[in-house]
Amino acid sequence: MNRKRFFWLWTALLVLMLAVTGCGGADQAGSTNTNGDGNQTETSSDSSSEPGKTELIVGMDDDPPQMDPHFSTAAVDRQTYQSLYDKLIDIDANLNLVPQLAEDWEISEDGKVYTFFLRQGVTFHDGTPFNAEAVKFNFERMMDPDAGSPRASELSPVQEVRVVDEYTVEVELDAPFSPFLAVLTDRAGMMVSPTAVQEKGKDFSNSPVGTGPFQFVERVVQDRIVLERYDDYWGELPKVTKITIIPYADENVRVTNLLSGDADIINRVPPKEIEKLKQSEGIELAETGTLGFQGLYLNHKGEPFNNAKLRKALDLVIDREAIKKVVMRDAVITAAGPIPPSSWAYDDSLEVVQRDVEKAKQLMAEAGYPDGFSFTLMINPKPVEQQMGEMIQSMAAEAGIDVKLEIVEFGTMLDKMDNHEFHASRLGWSGRTDPDGNVYPLLHSTGYINYGYSNPEVDGLLEQARQETAPDKRRALYTEATKIAQDEAAYIFLYHEIDYKAYKDNLKGFTPYPDTMMRFHHVYFE
Amino acid sequence: MAVDTVIKTDNPKKRMVKDMWGRFVQNKLAVVGGIFIFLLIFMAVFAPWIAPHDPTKQSYEKFLHAPDSENWFGTDELGRDIFSRVIYGSRVSLEAGLISVGIALLIGVPIGLLSGYYRGVLDEYIVMRFTDAMLSFPPLVLALSMAAVLGAGLENAMIAIGLVFTPNFIRLIRAEVLSQREREYVEAAKASGISDFRIIFFHLLPNCLPPILVQATLSIAAAIIAEASLSYLGLGTQPPTPSWGSMLSMGQGYLDTAPWIAIWPGVFIFITVLSFNLFGDGIRDALDPRMK
Amino acid sequence: MLSFIIRRFGLMLVILLFVSIIVFSLIHITPGDPARMMLGQEATEEALQALRHQLGLDLPLYQQYFNWITGVVQGDLGNSLKDNSDVLQVILQKLPVTIQMTIFSFLIALMIAIPAGIISATRKGTLWDYGGTLFALSGVSIPPFWLGIMLIFFFSIQLGWLPPSGYVEPWVDLKKSLLLMLMPALSLGVRLSAEITRMLRSSLLEVLRSDFIRTAYSKGLLERGVVFGHAIKNALIPVVTVSGLQLATFLGGAVITETIFAVPGLGRLVVTSILTRDFPMVQGAVLFMAFMVVTVNFLVDILYSILDPRIKLEGGKK
Repeated sequence: MNRKRFFWLWTALLVLMLAVTGCGGADQAGSTNTNGDGNQTETSSDSSSEPGKTELIVGMDDDPPQMDPHFSTAAVDRQTYQSLYDKLIDIDANLNLVPQLAEDWEISEDGKVYTFFLRQGVTFHDGTPFNAEAVKFNFERMMDPDAGSPRASELSPVQEVRVVDEYTVEVELDAPFSPFLAVLTDRAGMMVSPTAVQEKGKDFSNSPVGTGPFQFVERVVQDRIVLERYDDYWGELPKVTKITIIPYADENVRVTNLLSGDADIINRVPPKEIEKLKQSEGIELAETGTLGFQGLYLNHKGEPFNNAKLRKALDLVIDREAIKKVVMRDAVITAAGPIPPSSWAYDDSLEVVQRDVEKAKQLMAEAGYPDGFSFTLMINPKPVEQQMGEMIQSMAAEAGIDVKLEIVEFGTMLDKMDNHEFHASRLGWSGRTDPDGNVYPLLHSTGYINYGYSNPEVDGLLEQARQETAPDKRRALYTEATKIAQDEAAYIFLYHEIDYKAYKDNLKGFTPYPDTMMRFHHVYFE
Repeated sequence: MAVDTVIKTDNPKKRMVKDMWGRFVQNKLAVVGGIFIFLLIFMAVFAPWIAPHDPTKQSYEKFLHAPDSENWFGTDELGRDIFSRVIYGSRVSLEAGLISVGIALLIGVPIGLLSGYYRGVLDEYIVMRFTDAMLSFPPLVLALSMAAVLGAGLENAMIAIGLVFTPNFIRLIRAEVLSQREREYVEAAKASGISDFRIIFFHLLPNCLPPILVQATLSIAAAIIAEASLSYLGLGTQPPTPSWGSMLSMGQGYLDTAPWIAIWPGVFIFITVLSFNLFGDGIRDALDPRMK
Repeated sequence: MLSFIIRRFGLMLVILLFVSIIVFSLIHITPGDPARMMLGQEATEEALQALRHQLGLDLPLYQQYFNWITGVVQGDLGNSLKDNSDVLQVILQKLPVTIQMTIFSFLIALMIAIPAGIISATRKGTLWDYGGTLFALSGVSIPPFWLGIMLIFFFSIQLGWLPPSGYVEPWVDLKKSLLLMLMPALSLGVRLSAEITRMLRSSLLEVLRSDFIRTAYSKGLLERGVVFGHAIKNALIPVVTVSGLQLATFLGGAVITETIFAVPGLGRLVVTSILTRDFPMVQGAVLFMAFMVVTVNFLVDILYSILDPRIKLEGGKK
């Protein structure tokens, strides 16, 4: 008896397993076009045809740490914000400023007073009306010195925000600040619901309320964020009714999920997959130049890189073309400075540093290190970063420079850089709409992404550029500052990224933006 | 299955060792394991002579290249020769296995001996409950957390793995001492006024060696997997030192275009660990003929 | 019986006390300032001080431990450094996924191990037995992450049969959920099946030698009937209970498997928290895992002593 029962139990399990595997095989072979979109639908319409699809699944490169734009410090946060929040001003795909919550604006003669005329009939997702009071509340929230908002430094020129009438706000600056409008196209321009902030306090980040085309539904940490269409949106209603944002930190997993149909669009396509995806049927790639720069930070406040000759030696040792080819698969543009080709302020006369090991050795000898020196390079735990680190390690070794790699998480990296407890760090900058947001923070001695470089001449040039409004003159000033920084190897510029989003070809209406932020207001399925 | 050794007097010892050797060589799998271990050690020691290329030499012309006559196992994502890297990787794995088990022995053996010999409150309520607690953690999770706290790197990984393995040795040795301490030879030694220190380290310890040897061999196998796991997660060996675990983790990203990156290091981990397990099992069976 | 349970329960509490001390000290010897990590780059020294005070980081260590353990007992495992979410809540969210995977791999493991163990034991010394032994040793020796990678390589990339990674809740899409679970469960189950095979073989051999089997023989029952009727039942008791004790190793394996297959369970939570140095989360998850292991061990001990009364005599101090 026992024997029979045992036998049947075992057979049943085996059959179950085989059935499951078999189904999988048949499924793959039989119907090449199943999209598996049934997995997220609540209704059982798993055989519903694609055109009715209104739910978008986004494969993100990381789980956003913050849902509150005024306290966000990570680039990945901003992706979700594009759907949740509106900004006072937005950019278009060519980096022109376009109205969003502010329908129009005026700048006073002296460049110190900005008047914003707000859109009427806008409500936050919780029903709170959007008006001048709300704008004032938002500015003051970001500028409150006790709150410690990372936006405070971007808004530091703001002296006062005045409500003129219900839909007019005046912002007074203490000095002319030409990048001001561009600042408002990012998180500093995102408006959060004052009522929700007052009610929820710190918890606001876990259930954010904005005026954007989509509102927050739920979040399961490290698993998903769900947004749904906000039916009282002031503009055209989005065709997509629900967005599920899933973090796939592993780049391979991200691509796999796109190919298997579990994600409709993915952020940050790894360079090594670009060719493959281009050839994949049913997959589209959107390509755009980005606003940022990538390279190496050097600690100017300690050995060995307080010595300009050693900084320059390292600069000369690196073969940027090889990095571009091997690690980045040609999906980057080698960089000479902080301003990318997509910006109006880009100057193509600036030359990318070429590899010159002999000159590097000579500089080291002059600096008193004829046999080379050693330092530690911090890198983030990502395959591309590690490969780049190992290449730099190997290139530097040829000149006798001994590089130790230290893999650290983003937060730890920043912490160590803050305290100047580092030699070099592989870290770039996602960039800002206005070139000032790339150059000033990096090279000015008070810049917030400057980790110890200081040159009064550069400071002067950058301050001058902030007051200047003529684009030609600003560009010339940035070029001059960049040349000095390059000579002194203030920062080792490696490349500007080209951003790739990959998505299924039934997703239409997606436009890539140079700020790399995905906007889903106008996308739809065909 | 506790390993019960049958050492009685000094005279039949030689014959017994001979018997054990006989039983061991009869166990073909164990002999194969032993031969492989020898080959691996040989490979690690003479890596510079065996490896055809510099394991860290990169090639920006020939990367992700399939195996050919020049690069027998192909090249990796930075154009390095995988065959040479696998050869050098044996150094890290063997070193990690031996040193972490060494650490576990160094801490575990004295504590186990003292705890088992003196018993008492300290043994019952501190040492035993502490090891109970340590053994309640998933070993890999504990090693990972320790490595993260200590900082990534091979040395710290070995310390973490060693500490995680220590309680096993404490318990094993304590149990062994408990069974030995009532025996005649210990009683006799005590009666003749020999100091506790001498009894513990010169009489008890040698008699505990066989089970320690078995446990140590099997632990080396487990430690090699643990180090590879930590390296796979980025907390073990750091670049440019080639290690099997970190080669695997990078290779996972190239399974569709360059599967050889992930296949070979895995094959070598498998063979190495299997060899130590076969060898360890062989010793155990040889020591305890009843189990066969 | 009751006194045994009470004594065993007291023992469990003592072990948990040690577990908590280990976890607490593990995190508190870590360099790095949690306050700085929470407030980020822009924080002023005053704000850091205030937060340290608020978190009780300026108290003496024993007091910090006391505060922490008081919270833990009340179910407060603290908040994530990364996004301030409640640690216990996140853990409970991830737990069902790991439990699902655990059950699945146990099934797979038993399906492989029971036939393999029986064949090895009943055909002791034959080629079958050698094959079984070699399989068992290979299963223990194969690096779990490599096995996972190779499964992906063959079944997803070469053959295209199975989705390579990901997770879907079974109630959302049962078929897909099972398909996705198959490879993770297999790569976890192989090791377990290897260990159960070894265990089953030796316990079966022991049972086959024992008196009551000989009695069954003498009654003239067929050999296969003997094996299936009496021996397996008796041999399975230690196997099943001991495989319960494998939970610790198993959870460790889940850490790697979940990472490879992007399964959002407890193991992956531990790895990501360790890699992002989210120490409250690490602390909470590690404590929780140890708690699970200690509890399961306790239950298995009790169960064992009920199933096999002989063990009661020494069970408490094993």
